[in-house]
Amino acid sequence: MHFDLNFPVTASGSTSQPKKNKNKQPQQSSQTAFTPAQIKGIEARLDLLEHLGYTVIAFNQSVNKKIDPKTHVNILDGLLQQLRARPGTVFLKRLTIVLDNDSEKGFGLTNANTSLVEPYDVIALLPTTPATFSLACLTHSLPSPLTAHIVALPLTLPRLPFQLKHTLVRTAIKNGAVFEINYAGAIGGESDASLSTFGVSDTGASGKRNWWAAAREVVRVTKGKGIIVSGGVASEADYRGPKDIANLLTLLDLAQNLAHDASVAAPKSLILRARKPFR
Amino acid sequence: MVRFKNRWLLVEFVDTSTVDASAEKESLSTRPLDGRLIYNALRDSVVTNFGDTGWGAVGMSLNVKYFSPLTNLCIIRVARDQHRIAWGAVTLLTSIHDVRVIPRVVHVSGTIKHTQLSAIAHNREVIARFRTKLKNTAFHHDSYDDYLARSTREIEALHD
Repeated sequence: MHFDLNFPVTASGSTSQPKKNKNKQPQQSSQTAFTPAQIKGIEARLDLLEHLGYTVIAFNQSVNKKIDPKTHVNILDGLLQQLRARPGTVFLKRLTIVLDNDSEKGFGLTNANTSLVEPYDVIALLPTTPATFSLACLTHSLPSPLTAHIVALPLTLPRLPFQLKHTLVRTAIKNGAVFEINYAGAIGGESDASLSTFGVSDTGASGKRNWWAAAREVVRVTKGKGIIVSGGVASEADYRGPKDIANLLTLLDLAQNLAHDASVAAPKSLILRARKPFR
Repeated sequence: MVRFKNRWLLVEFVDTSTVDASAEKESLSTRPLDGRLIYNALRDSVVTNFGDTGWGAVGMSLNVKYFSPLTNLCIIRVARDQHRIAWGAVTLLTSIHDVRVIPRVVHVSGTIKHTQLSAIAHNREVIARFRTKLKNTAFHHDSYDDYLARSTREIEALHD
């Protein structure tokens, strides 16, 4: 069972009309439909993932700064309906919120927005400043219906913007959150388009170098536990099989068994934790 | 006696354009890939990602032993102590001679025997996939049979 928990999905061009989305479950085709060409592209990538051996795939919708009940469109529900069912593969829905300075005051993971967040199986936070990082690790990893399950890190930025403090990381892991390493940064190439628009990633040779440095740092601070590795791949040709990725992780000074866990055992327990209803 | 131990990597180069199920073109056989190009690409990958020291560690023992253009299967031999570096270089390969590929390591073993078995099994799987695409009936002899026989012989002829 291999997991790829970051299959980036961006909103299609057809959502250019003003989104008057009071309805939290958009099914109107005029708002969230993916064009047949896009569906074909996504199906092709899913074929590739299946060929490489991934069985659980989480579609990832990224939102900048905060979720706003007035403008948020859940594009993944519409997408899942349009994809054909594959026996042996499980699809999940994931929401990533990119946090930066403006989100320090609050970014919508409150009780009032629970219904917005509920349809997603996994929630991830991507902090870019030290304050948001500590927010993500401390307050949002506590068990609750609104908990953030994954703390994703922008590994290709020059000079990881915050220091990975050991205490923060340990608290997050104790609470059950995991830290995510996206392997797309190591291969180079165009990274997730939505992340670039949010200014969070850097491509090219320097992006790769930063990835190696930052990923190594993450491994060091977490001591190998509580890490998951996922794709985050924008361009098809950057996908790699799970065993190859595990080998790349061993090059980061991660022990072989821990590298294997990072793509099999840790995501599994993460999803089980995410699915469990909290009192 | 301290034996020189090897690792044999079985690498499949997944062609990104043929993964699309509706592709009619048979692009696998039209691409002019061969063992030397792969070796050069691998060498460049090691030098870019692991530097001259990386190449120094891996280069003496790196050998592309077999390549089949039809199934895109490649067998590479590396010394056991540095096989992770070579494996990493294979993973980080993005294109060979301007053709984008996805390298996938199917099997790693310490002896040729199991590599051969795995390679033959892999070839059969790929041919089976081709046949279902062409929708051939089971008892129709086609050119793939020759290829299977030939490649099995070639693989079994490999030696240290």
